[in-house]
Amino acid sequence: MERFTDMEKLRIFEDLNMMYIRQIALSIQDSDIQKKIDHEIRMRDGACKLLAACSQRDQALEASKNLLTCNARIMAYMSELQRMKEAQVMQRVARRSSESGPLDDRLPCKGKVAISDLRIPLMWKDTEYFKNKGELHRCAVFCLLQLGGEIFDTDMVMVDRTLTDICFENTVIFNEASPGFELRVELYSCCSEDDCSAGSTPRKLASKLSSSLGRTAGKKMRAAMDPGACSPISNGGGATLLLPVSSVPGPKYHLLAHTALSLAHVQDSFRTHDLTIAANEDCSFWVPLYGSVCCRLASQPKCMTQQVMSGRLKVKHGNDSQSCTNVYGVLKGTHLFCYHQQQDMDTNVDPAITIGINKETRIRAAERDPHSKAQSICISNQYGGEEVTHTLLTETRDDTQHWMEAFWQHFYDMSQWKHCCEDLMKIDLPSPKKLAPLTPKQGSLYHEMVIDTSDDIGTVTDILTRQIQEWELRTQLRRGAATPPAWMALFEEEGSPPTTPQPIPRHHHHHQQQLLRSPASPLLSPGRQPGRCGRLLSSQVSLTSDSDSPCSTSPCSRHYGWAADPSFISPSLSSSSSSSSKTRFRPRTLSLDAKLSSLRGRGGVGGGGGGSGGGRVIQCSSPPPTMTSSSTATSSSSVAPHRSPALATLSSSSSTSSTSSNSSEGSSLGGPEGDTPFARPTGARRSLRNLRSKLDPRNWMQSQV
Amino acid sequence: MEPFDNNCTLPVVPGQPVTAVVQRIEIHKLRHADNLILGFSIGGGMDQDPGQNPFSADKTDKGIYVTRVTPKGPAEVAGLKMGDKIMQVNGWDMTMVTHDQARKRLTKKKEDVVRLLVTRKGLEQAVKNAMM
Repeated sequence: MERFTDMEKLRIFEDLNMMYIRQIALSIQDSDIQKKIDHEIRMRDGACKLLAACSQRDQALEASKNLLTCNARIMAYMSELQRMKEAQVMQRVARRSSESGPLDDRLPCKGKVAISDLRIPLMWKDTEYFKNKGELHRCAVFCLLQLGGEIFDTDMVMVDRTLTDICFENTVIFNEASPGFELRVELYSCCSEDDCSAGSTPRKLASKLSSSLGRTAGKKMRAAMDPGACSPISNGGGATLLLPVSSVPGPKYHLLAHTALSLAHVQDSFRTHDLTIAANEDCSFWVPLYGSVCCRLASQPKCMTQQVMSGRLKVKHGNDSQSCTNVYGVLKGTHLFCYHQQQDMDTNVDPAITIGINKETRIRAAERDPHSKAQSICISNQYGGEEVTHTLLTETRDDTQHWMEAFWQHFYDMSQWKHCCEDLMKIDLPSPKKLAPLTPKQGSLYHEMVIDTSDDIGTVTDILTRQIQEWELRTQLRRGAATPPAWMALFEEEGSPPTTPQPIPRHHHHHQQQLLRSPASPLLSPGRQPGRCGRLLSSQVSLTSDSDSPCSTSPCSRHYGWAADPSFISPSLSSSSSSSSKTRFRPRTLSLDAKLSSLRGRGGVGGGGGGSGGGRVIQCSSPPPTMTSSSTATSSSSVAPHRSPALATLSSSSSTSSTSSNSSEGSSLGGPEGDTPFARPTGARRSLRNLRSKLDPRNWMQSQV
Repeated sequence: MEPFDNNCTLPVVPGQPVTAVVQRIEIHKLRHADNLILGFSIGGGMDQDPGQNPFSADKTDKGIYVTRVTPKGPAEVAGLKMGDKIMQVNGWDMTMVTHDQARKRLTKKKEDVVRLLVTRKGLEQAVKNAMM
């Protein structure tokens, strides 16, 4: 006789179990359940095979989750089968003893129950959070939701210490729930670290492990070897009894926490419920739960969403009058709608009369009126202290009976579903949405990118270098005649060349305004750059309001400036220059216009980043930054030449609060618009303070390197 | 408060790679006693609160930003500006790193030079202008 190994034994048990289940299904002769069970068993087999064949961890986790769900479903069907079998037996017994009387119990209507937006807060310990060494401890978790015979699982979520809550986006709707339902929510988790698998450890890892197995790692290893030690119930409730832990090797999920929700927990908004935790910290699959789960549990009983009763009625006008209106009545939810005609209901015409039906309503069938054949039904409601009664007449006695029956059933349903019947709760059907970005892209980004070396953007540095070099060549060839390319204007501060005289006054005015606003801003000494008279003048001009210097807007000077020091393009973002219009020659884009006009009032501030620098392609960028550095005023010039040849070093200001752009080389001033993109005149002081507070390391960590 | 808002760069769509126009900045570290200093400060990171970043256009951007540049320091000299977002350091990505990882990648003792790829507002616009 061969000796079976444990694995083989397990497999044999499983097969026997499956056969047993199938047999029972057949004997019940309920084809519906039989089909479902067969389907689940097939799914389960598929999941087992997939799990065995998996090489990647995520696939294995997914397959394991499916396996667990299939097992749970099979269990649920099994219990249902058992119940049905019992019921059959009981019936036979009852028939024999002929004790059965008509079952008088009224059954409440069924309803839809939806649970959505599950969120489970986590509570990581400080030590976990700040642990920098080693890989993150990650777990794969998912929720199993069971109501009656329906079981659904949520998507799997990977949890590590960077997560503060486990969120499940799924909305799960159970369609056939009775008011006494119990919705079991079970949270399963599985450790997702390589070291936890007792089986094959990759060589590198094995060597790491062999060299040092710290206390926590050691604990984990031990726990991983023996998951059962942590919780007596490993595969969810009694599942272990019938369907033992799968004999297929692979990641196994363990029950981490569970809770049961019922009608009392239903509400049209989010609520927090307690979770019962079924594991402890020593387990490998442990995730530190805060102990509660938030979700939105809503329900729509059928009496609220479907028509309970409908038929022709006559509504009496007043108590004594004999006249009545013929209506078509529909009892649904908390109202009895009386339409003039049946078609009105479909065409969304408002009903003629709407009678409220709620738990305060009293309905009474009046005695048969000897004068008329019809019977009347009186519906009384209390509207703020006043009692309003509607009297309805039906055509035949049977009709009255049907209506009364409908009302009684409706009242019963409302009493069973309680607060769900006060108002209709909204349940959104989960829309089958795929991740939007995935759909348009078939391949990867590479398929869409056409990289043509001729127009590869590369870095700004390269482009501008090339351009500068070209332009320089050109100028050398045709001195003075060439006009710098449009974008050069970027680096110069100027306004429209021809209209020189005009801008000045505006500029001055502007500048004066500015001066008023920031009296304290240190103005750079005009004589900073003795060598570059022409251009400097402009900055000087900005500084002193009375100068009338020709804002050298002449193209020549600009040229000069440019040619002389190609590496130095300073947009003179100085406040003075206000104009920093980006381009002189090109019509500006709308957005830029809008921006500039909004900044018009502010005057200019040389924003400018720190230092001279490298790469400021455009004047701006960082806001107040320059503010902080301060005193780099002169440094900029000196440091300037340095740069990466390529970039137009826009030496923007650098100086901090100073409104003048120290960059000096600003070329001509006086643009037509007196505004600068940089406008940050006095804002300087304020922004300095703001920035300091924003950059407070207590709020947002910064490190010096 | 930005001086120049170009209909900004770096729109972050989850699941999509982030593209940006970058500039190369080569910083030669300065040796000061036993330390190699670069002369700037960084802020941000995957483990920091992105809402506190005063420089980012998108307040969910967890990238590494330059928060301060020491005047006349190696970084300033190389052209780094406050507010720049660091995309790469010597080839290592800096868009999805924690603060500490970022700091470590910048301060490797064996490296005397760090080549950064940085992006800032205005680069894209400048390139567009250059193309026109």
